Amino acid sequence: MPSGVKPGKYFIQGDEAIAEGAIAAGCRYFAGYPITPSSETSEALARRLPEVGGVCMQMEDELASIHSVAAASVAGLKAMTISSGPGISLKLEGLGWGIKNEIPLVVADVQRAGPSNGVATRVGQGDFYTVRYGSAGGNHCLIALSPKSTQEAFDLTIECFNLAEIFRCPVFLLTDETVGHTRELLVIPEESQLKIVERIKPTVSPEEFHMYPLDTPGVIHYPFPNIGEGYGICVSPYTHTSKGYASTAQEIQEKMARRLVFKITRNLDQLVRVETQYIEDATFMVVAYGGNARPAMAAVEMSREKGMKVGFFRPIIVWPFPDGEVLKIAEKAKTTLVCELNVDGQLSREVDRAAKGKTEVYHLGSGGVEPHLPSQIFNEIRRLYR
Amino acid sequence: MTMNGEPPITLHPLVSKYLRKERMPHMACPGCGIGQIVHATLLAIDDLGMTPKDTVWVQGVGCSSRITYSTWVGDNIDSHHGRIFAVATGLKMARPDLNFILFTGDGDCGAIGGNHFIHACRRNLDVTAILFNNGIYGMTGGQVAPTSPVGAVTTTTPYGNIEDPFDMCQLAVAAGASYVARWTSTDFRPLIHSIKKGIQTRGLAFIEVLVQCPTNFGRYVLKTSESKEVIKWIKDHSINMKEAEKLSSEELKGKYLLGEFIHRTDRLGIVDRYQEFLKKFKKE
Repeated sequence: MPSGVKPGKYFIQGDEAIAEGAIAAGCRYFAGYPITPSSETSEALARRLPEVGGVCMQMEDELASIHSVAAASVAGLKAMTISSGPGISLKLEGLGWGIKNEIPLVVADVQRAGPSNGVATRVGQGDFYTVRYGSAGGNHCLIALSPKSTQEAFDLTIECFNLAEIFRCPVFLLTDETVGHTRELLVIPEESQLKIVERIKPTVSPEEFHMYPLDTPGVIHYPFPNIGEGYGICVSPYTHTSKGYASTAQEIQEKMARRLVFKITRNLDQLVRVETQYIEDATFMVVAYGGNARPAMAAVEMSREKGMKVGFFRPIIVWPFPDGEVLKIAEKAKTTLVCELNVDGQLSREVDRAAKGKTEVYHLGSGGVEPHLPSQIFNEIRRLYR
Repeated sequence: MTMNGEPPITLHPLVSKYLRKERMPHMACPGCGIGQIVHATLLAIDDLGMTPKDTVWVQGVGCSSRITYSTWVGDNIDSHHGRIFAVATGLKMARPDLNFILFTGDGDCGAIGGNHFIHACRRNLDVTAILFNNGIYGMTGGQVAPTSPVGAVTTTTPYGNIEDPFDMCQLAVAAGASYVARWTSTDFRPLIHSIKKGIQTRGLAFIEVLVQCPTNFGRYVLKTSESKEVIKWIKDHSINMKEAEKLSSEELKGKYLLGEFIHRTDRLGIVDRYQEFLKKFKKE
């Protein structure tokens, strides 16, 4: 299949950059269901995938799209789906099948104001915990990256595909309407400059090969055989042995649960991605992620102009949460202000947990529709700054 | 080794050839008809010379799937409840060169996965789907199904079912499947023939099999634990299409029509359509 990378400079939306990132990463199967504000990605992939010999399906619903995506990945194609809000609620069912069977796939969530249908066309950041904990049953860990710009939407989509292959699991691109609908510069580099991780095939015989490495839970970049090659792979929703046979044994359940969690938690060093600014002398820290990180950074600049020792911290990987990095900044700053587009306090709760009482954590929330204004955040910094 | 420590019985040659010995004995209840359907499927596979490398078994959730899952010596892809056609869509679109045989149940296909089933028929997905219709939720212990007859007493209809059952074959015909047929588990030869025909059909082949479930349908609906009583009930309540032509609609009430509902050769499946569509892009 042709590579499909089109190097150059583009003035496009974040949603379209996701599509270009997917093509560059080698995605050759997409299935979706139209939902605002993510439909531009589906539309872009409907144009682009046939050009590279790929498959683009508009399915009958969100459930069908994620299940067909996971199945296409089992059948050997890099695959993704995208959604928002109520669509993500439905996608969670298929996500569990992907998690359980260690299937590489990418799900992009273009967050909008919720709950329920909320405001379809406007921004929100309410899915922070949904993507991490939404799939019922627990006993899993999950990777989610969050871009702040069109360029990062492209770059991190590629990284999502790479991590999905390395960790053999579903990976979320947790973006939002602000990033999805912002038109700005995207630079697509030459293909040779892109780092693309390909799927590893087993080198041992089918008899020796175990589809699920339950006895070595921390192992990553573990092979995934193609169907139709004599490996006789078994994929199922049930707790399984290393060969994929359904089991009700407590020992097997324990091993499987540990495998699904430990493959990620024992390799955190390969996952940490954060952005920091002005943290060396900072006594006050501003934390934000995704599109809302941009007004937050602007407010930090405003504070610095006034001579205030304010630093900026942005988790680029939001799951697993970068606990260690948060603790480092918490030890420097007396006060931390977390800005996010939900009123219930999601990111702020997580920062508070990771900070272990080393800093006083404040939450500047909003129900969404509009991102925070830099002046709003700056006023809050001034109010709390000591 | 069997459960009682007796020496293992000799395996049927079809089992030795196509099924995983380590997955035997299977988990079907005594008197269950699923073995008959698997037997017919294996004979069809054998007759057509299909191999574990070119054929994948796909399951959903329920007796149809739990009993057949990970028994095929090739690849076994078992989906969440109802998502079998969604999963099959991803598999077949990604690997159009492989044969996919789907084992689904009346709850899987007619209730929780109904929408996926309709759209798979509309797309005319090139797979062979075998519906094991036992008229009840067997795996979960005898709850009413969308295929249970009116009046059926089940664990969730203790006063009798007041809803009409689905005719899954008529649904498949209306939604556009290329090949649709219905048999009982004891119509052994027509069933083998039908499965073979289904596998050779371009587009979606849907074969419904009325299958006896003495454990739950027998126990709750018919008040019997005898497999042969359930088979007799199925026989009494089904009729060949040709014979049905002679009967009035009143006489046909509550009866399952058996035979081939449709065999379209003029409607391309999604795989052929997609390959044709992709040609546009190869020229540029």
